[in-house]
Amino acid sequence: MLSNVVISLDHVSKLFYKQEQRTMKELIPALFRGGKGGNWFWALQDVSLQVKRGDTVGIVGSNGSGKSTLLKLIAGVTRPTEGKIGTSGRIAPLIELGAGFHSELTGRENAYLNGVILGMTRKEIDAKFQEIVNFADLWDFIDQPIKHYSSGMYLRLAFSVAIHTAPEILLVDEILAVGDEEFQKKCLSKIGEYLHKGGTLLFVSHDIKLVKQICTHIVHIEKGKIIRSYENPQGKKRS
Amino acid sequence: MFQVFMRHRELLSELTKREIKSRYKQSILGYAWVILNPFFQMLVMAFVFSHIMRVPVIGVPYALYLYVGLLPWTLFSNSLISSANVLVNNASLITKIYFPREIFVLSTIFAKIVDFALASIVLVLFMVYFRVPITWNIVWFIPIFLIQQIFTYSVSLLVSACNLFYRDIQYVLNLGIVIWMYLTPVIYPVELLPDKYRWIFQVNPMAVLINAYRQVVLSGSSPNLVSLGVAAGVSCAFFIVARWIFNKLEGIFADVV
Repeated sequence: MLSNVVISLDHVSKLFYKQEQRTMKELIPALFRGGKGGNWFWALQDVSLQVKRGDTVGIVGSNGSGKSTLLKLIAGVTRPTEGKIGTSGRIAPLIELGAGFHSELTGRENAYLNGVILGMTRKEIDAKFQEIVNFADLWDFIDQPIKHYSSGMYLRLAFSVAIHTAPEILLVDEILAVGDEEFQKKCLSKIGEYLHKGGTLLFVSHDIKLVKQICTHIVHIEKGKIIRSYENPQGKKRS
Repeated sequence: MFQVFMRHRELLSELTKREIKSRYKQSILGYAWVILNPFFQMLVMAFVFSHIMRVPVIGVPYALYLYVGLLPWTLFSNSLISSANVLVNNASLITKIYFPREIFVLSTIFAKIVDFALASIVLVLFMVYFRVPITWNIVWFIPIFLIQQIFTYSVSLLVSACNLFYRDIQYVLNLGIVIWMYLTPVIYPVELLPDKYRWIFQVNPMAVLINAYRQVVLSGSSPNLVSLGVAAGVSCAFFIVARWIFNKLEGIFADVV
């Protein structure tokens, strides 16, 4: 991998098995009926992509086109059936914010837990804790169990922890569609700040307008294949 | 294995803490339940089996005899039961962020070990009260405990992975644990079983381990080294196989969960 390439996909394909039966009670009759117990399909086929450090890449496509599978492969949570994937540096997936939060624990406890899950050490979190809570604007509630949080507060904390992990690569999946408008703006400007510092962004969205606003490179996926990949000079290098 | 452990020790400790902290939230007695639960269980069983069923035990009070077997058994069964669900419960993490999945299984077992340590305080008080003599053989406790953990971890890896594919596993497991407990001398002494069935204890690592605990803690003697050696060998071999299978399946966890 070239030194400034942070994500590289080399002819990657992903075959999915759709399991239809979740218990053996359902499986056994299905076997007798001669059913396959599910069916196979290609979620991604022969996808090659290289992302350089500092790139902002938008991935667009309709529902079920394979966008999320692509992000999962890059995040490393699932392995490709064929092809190779290489990534370098810490990846912060802003996918379904707050994965790993526990509702009975306090905001403080969850911030540490989530930070460590995203690959920080406790020491690094100590150093950034002030900043994290400042950004989330949660000083009054930080020692309360997050089950008492509103969904907005929950999101603010989750986003704040994730963005403060100082990731090499930021994976963003539609999250900007949630939260109030003010918070969205705050997130966008924080992401802008991150890009300004030379961070790499992979942005998945239906919202082609927003993608064109942010991204310098756009990849269009349909039915698991890249159908179009082009530069987008209007996408501002936020500087 | 050791590398995984070292690299992710902070994550492991955070996940363990999460499990411990969250468990007894919103209960008045809170974490005291960890001690009270096995204690009351022991009292009930001790009453039934020493006053009604009259299980003969040589040398020590039955309550004590029972407790020495019951605590490690509870650790074993609780570890398996919570491992069965640990991957399913963490589905949202498994589909979003990558780190070795065995960390989940390890953290849940660690939380149970903390419970075990706390519950053991009552046992120690009991032993002081009944003036059980302690000899240097008590040091054997450490290798016996380690063998138990290797065995527990191996079974847990398989159970957690399989339950991700088919949720029947947790029900089969619950049933299996009940049967397994009666095939292990937890509530009755080995001597009670007719000779022709004794082989069951030879092939059941948990039986060997429970016996060994009693020998080193209550009798102050050294354990049967041949049986213990076999249990250790079986556990290690099983560990290698279980971990190999788990690592093979790990790559598709996110797809099936």
